[in-house]
Amino acid sequence: MKSIIKIAWRNLLRYTRRTLLTASLIAVGVAMVIVFGGVGNSFKSEVIGILTNSNLGDIQIHKKGYVGSIDNLPLDISIPEKGLKKIESLLDNNPEIKAYSPRIRFGAMASNYVQTTGMRFTAVYPEKESKTCPSLVERIKEGNSNPESFVSPGSIVIPLNISTGMNLKLGDNIVLVATNKDGSVNGMTFKISGISENILGPQGKDGYIHIDDAKSLLRIENGEITEIAIKLNNFNKLSSIYAGLKNELKNIQGETTAKPMFEIHTWEELSPFASISKIVTLLIMVVRLVLISIVLISILNVMMMSVYERIGEIGTIASIGTLPSKILALFLTEGLSLGFFSAIAGSIIGIIIILFINLVKLKFKFGMMEISLAPQIPTAEVFFALVIVVIISALASLQPAFKASKMEPVEALRHV
Amino acid sequence: MELVVLDNVKKSYVTGEVLTPALKGISISIESGKFVSFVGPSGSGKTTLLNLIGCLDKPTEGKVLVANTEISQMDRKTSAKFRGDNIGFIFQNFNLIPILTVYENVEYPLIMVQNVPTEKRKQRINDLLEKVGMIDQQNKYPAQLSGGQKQRVAVARALVTEPKLVLADEPTANLDHATAYKVIGLMHEMKKKFDTTFIFATHDQKIVGEAEILYTLEDGLITQKQENKKPGEVSK
Repeated sequence: MKSIIKIAWRNLLRYTRRTLLTASLIAVGVAMVIVFGGVGNSFKSEVIGILTNSNLGDIQIHKKGYVGSIDNLPLDISIPEKGLKKIESLLDNNPEIKAYSPRIRFGAMASNYVQTTGMRFTAVYPEKESKTCPSLVERIKEGNSNPESFVSPGSIVIPLNISTGMNLKLGDNIVLVATNKDGSVNGMTFKISGISENILGPQGKDGYIHIDDAKSLLRIENGEITEIAIKLNNFNKLSSIYAGLKNELKNIQGETTAKPMFEIHTWEELSPFASISKIVTLLIMVVRLVLISIVLISILNVMMMSVYERIGEIGTIASIGTLPSKILALFLTEGLSLGFFSAIAGSIIGIIIILFINLVKLKFKFGMMEISLAPQIPTAEVFFALVIVVIISALASLQPAFKASKMEPVEALRHV
Repeated sequence: MELVVLDNVKKSYVTGEVLTPALKGISISIESGKFVSFVGPSGSGKTTLLNLIGCLDKPTEGKVLVANTEISQMDRKTSAKFRGDNIGFIFQNFNLIPILTVYENVEYPLIMVQNVPTEKRKQRINDLLEKVGMIDQQNKYPAQLSGGQKQRVAVARALVTEPKLVLADEPTANLDHATAYKVIGLMHEMKKKFDTTFIFATHDQKIVGEAEILYTLEDGLITQKQENKKPGEVSK
């Protein structure tokens, strides 16, 4: 085998320029896969992190039918107190659940006595919300950002665009007027305790109040809520935990209907970014396919040329007794070596580019979110690139190698 | 002892719908340890005959026996193994592997064909390179050698596996006369040292006198067999 490798290497180096060009092409392809994979995954996880850690949570539970009407933030499709207790007991007993936060989400008119605008609100228990969405308080740029008390009864957190647009500052009063589920209207005055970045919801017009205030404003006398946001200990187990919870929730059925009362959704089903995330995944797949094509075509081309140029030589080694299997191994090793070492070079280039991106900390705005790209070295991507290049190199070398091994020595010797 | 036996061997090539007979029924036997030459004009069937004896091609009819083995109908793998174990080849264009040094070219059949252990291999290669006068050039590549030097290396490569039979097709065609005689002389010398049978094809009338037995081929048939009592006189 050592001799086969030595001869294969010498043959590759015989046509240095051609080998280097092909190797560069493969190396660039591999580097592209690694960089694109690293940056793409970093972008995805950064945005998913922002969305799940500051607003959505990893999973949400609602009364059945709520998500279908979620744009209207319906108050009449709510989780009753009895149901909430059952869900809480289920979540408390699940070791995979890190935290959960009951919420009331509603729409209201906000007024500074001069101007009025429509807003969406999330009413929360601050300590539970901070555990479920730990990045939320980091986005409060002015005012109280204490995770335990960023909203207290009587206070409100508004987004920056409302603060700027309505000329509101910390400590100013704001009046919320909301319609409760019976259709009656109520209003309450709040003091602005925090101003957050515009990252959440349509047009970034999402604010936070304490859940007790929401109950007063919306005249909810029992313990009804509209949703429960859940944070997992391990985000990577999302699918399995989701499936488990979905199964358990099926057992909580309505007294009259005998059908499941609640519905459960992962962040992917609740955020439009899931589609963008899928597109990024698709693009990574496309880049992989491009790499496969590059490797396949370039190795096939090089090996076919190599066999054609060395027909006489194949005749010589065959006539002096080299077995067809060894001739096959010689050409296969040549293709495999070219692919493997090009992939190694490409991986090194890719890793260096990723380290460089990490060093310069690329920042850009995605919608209203400021993304800081800090791609990790995608070990899986590097492994994938190496394995796929080796496999494709072997496949691409196979046909020319077979051709070489099947040559009749007498005909090959006649070739000029 | 008969090393090569050909029994009514015929070989025809088909080109399109035209059947061209290259050998029209050859029956000869060659004893081991002889220095045999096939002579004749181009197209007389010399190379075809060597290819059949060398297990590189199959006859259309007849039998070819080399070292008591019927080689006419061997499959590719068996014939490759048979060639590796029994036959050495010397080509008109030397056919050295350009990416290997002189030493590595001679070493090639021992590694890739016969799997000879390292120490034995080294000893055998050095011994042969010494004998063909190429030991000082062992690290050179074929491109750095003259035609005569290349053919010396080719002779060493053909003999390194200790074959029973060495086939040489026009081994002097690309060499000047002086070098050609030297190479033939070397083959003579090697034949004596290793008791190997040499069969070569040539149409170079100046070196035919080097052979012990001379077969003349014309139009696919052997027309004459001559025995030379004093072979190798010219090359001396």
